[in-house]
Amino acid sequence: MLWLIEALIGFVLLVGGAVMVAGWIGPDWKIVPGWLSGNVWILPVAAGAVMLPFVIIEPLWRYAVHRWELSGDVVYARSGWLSREWVFVPVSRIQTVDKAQGWFERALGLATVEIRTASHAGSSTIKGLDYEVAARLAEELARRAQELRDDAT
Amino acid sequence: MTPSDHSDPSDPGDAGFGPGLGGGFGAGAGPYGARRLSPRVLLIDPIRLLPSLFLPLAGVLLVGGFSPASFGWAALAVVASAVYAVVRWATFTYDLTGDRLELTRAFIGRTAKTIPLERIRGIDITEPPLHRLLGLAVLKIDTGAGGNDQEGTLDAVTMEQARALRTALLARRPATPVPAEATGPTDTGPEATEPGVTAGAGPEPSGPERAGRVLARVPRRWLRYGPLSGAYLLTPFALAAGAAGLVFQWGEELGLTERSARQALEWVWAHPLLLVAVGALLLTAMPIVGAVMYAIFNWDFTLRTRDGYLVAERGLLTRRTVSLERRRIRGYEMTEALFERWAGVVRLWAVVTGLGDSATRGQLLPVTPKAFATGVASEAVEPFVTPLRPHPPRARQRRLVRAIVPWLVLAAVAFALGWAVAGVVALGLAVLGIPLGLDRYRGLGHAYDGAWLSVRSGSLRRVQAVVERRAVVGWTLRQTAFQRLAGLITVTAGVGAGSGGYPAIDTGETQGVEFAAEVTPDWLHPFLTDPPPPPGDPSQGR
Repeated sequence: MLWLIEALIGFVLLVGGAVMVAGWIGPDWKIVPGWLSGNVWILPVAAGAVMLPFVIIEPLWRYAVHRWELSGDVVYARSGWLSREWVFVPVSRIQTVDKAQGWFERALGLATVEIRTASHAGSSTIKGLDYEVAARLAEELARRAQELRDDAT
Repeated sequence: MTPSDHSDPSDPGDAGFGPGLGGGFGAGAGPYGARRLSPRVLLIDPIRLLPSLFLPLAGVLLVGGFSPASFGWAALAVVASAVYAVVRWATFTYDLTGDRLELTRAFIGRTAKTIPLERIRGIDITEPPLHRLLGLAVLKIDTGAGGNDQEGTLDAVTMEQARALRTALLARRPATPVPAEATGPTDTGPEATEPGVTAGAGPEPSGPERAGRVLARVPRRWLRYGPLSGAYLLTPFALAAGAAGLVFQWGEELGLTERSARQALEWVWAHPLLLVAVGALLLTAMPIVGAVMYAIFNWDFTLRTRDGYLVAERGLLTRRTVSLERRRIRGYEMTEALFERWAGVVRLWAVVTGLGDSATRGQLLPVTPKAFATGVASEAVEPFVTPLRPHPPRARQRRLVRAIVPWLVLAAVAFALGWAVAGVVALGLAVLGIPLGLDRYRGLGHAYDGAWLSVRSGSLRRVQAVVERRAVVGWTLRQTAFQRLAGLITVTAGVGAGSGGYPAIDTGETQGVEFAAEVTPDWLHPFLTDPPPPPGDPSQGR
């Protein structure tokens, strides 16, 4: 749901941007071929047509891909859609746990848990959790991280 | 050439520094006392300000003519800058109390920076040429806090103070007292407790360091490998650009008008041979200037180990000494550019947790033959002999595609638009992409020997990183849509040091996961035995 809204907003921005570009390209531009400057309205429509399927598919796909799990004191998170990303972070190496809520997340009662380690490559962000779940996870992680803290870095 | 220290009675730092250090700090008590920087810095500050003053001064003199009034203004500016330097010097103090170092600047506002000693990751002592003439040094304290503002800078203290401070700051564990007393009286090392002993030696860098064992001393003949790194090759162009900028900046004041500038340009265009000659000159200057710059920065590079620290010292004009805590070294990176690989030479960096400015501070060796660098790496950090495992042949296809296809597309577009020259150039680059892609594939590899893991990648700049297992803070496995089609996956070991993450690019799906599982079995096995093994699982089930 969250991704759907975000995708929709991105879509609107893109089409709006295309409209603006189209309005900006006057008929007297020499760089742009004549057939295009004559029919500038094509640009936003084309952008819209190309992007529309993605707007529908991407969020659903993302939702299907996203997983997270905490077991054996290791946080595992999977994300992405066309490209996938799996992140494994042992609780003992966690430096901070953040819980954040954006506008839309608040409206939908969702939250994001950000897990930070000393390295950007070992940090992970779990998006779109139910607020209570996120709060519980963040709490749990922070508590365990304190117990297991190991200062190798 | 080196000023003797006790000939300068106004220097408060020299008097009684040694005893205060050996007794007071070593006992873990007793005030060290607030200190000022060396007053000799007052000689340097105005000189440093001169360039920024020169332009306004010249402007004033030119505009006002050489009248007494304009001379007055100029003198005022000089006096003001001198006063500013004195105020800056007088209001800054540093103090070593118990287990922390405090830097205080109290003028109108008051800022105090407190650095707990156990947070210090490294000490960087730099002697720019002017400082060197006066026997001074800039001491930088790396705390791993990140950002240039976060580190403590003492600009400037005398060389003896800098060395004594380094000893005091680094030998912070109460269990190990300042080890100056441990060595015999014959030792004339710079950290000897009495500054008077070393005053004659001054900041002589090649003197024997106390309790230090030399790991590597780079012979001067190896300086000739310098230009291969390509680091300073662009210096002539930078210099030329700088000169051009100066001409433009000062042009108006020197009476250069637009018209004369245009005339000059036309004159240059009328003599194309001259242009070619200048270009050729710049090109030939590239390796020469590169070599000179490299030699200046890496002159007499010496790597020592002392009291659990690695100390790297280098430089001809600006002498720089960097101390790295060995406890925080998590591995090393060995870099070889294309030309360097042909010559069989490499550069070596340490991977240190929380090191700021690690590109220069982490350097363990400049360009040296590979066997030598490997020896130093195994002595300074850890030997790593396990051969690297190659990545699957599909990775080669992917490297090739990535090196060739973008140029092919560009060539197609260029030809479609009728830009033949650009198209041919792009085609040429695509052809070059074939050996490049093959070489990139040859560069790929990863290995794990039970405690250390290693990954290698790159062609034009090939980097092999060797990192300790316990430094890994997490794994990121990434697979793009194309990688999924090819059954490849990029496995990145997150490390809280160095560049942050070390990727094994384009491993096979099972190979990559096995690599991660091999290094940290208990992190990945719970998920691997789970019904849907995460990687290599293109459908998302459930």
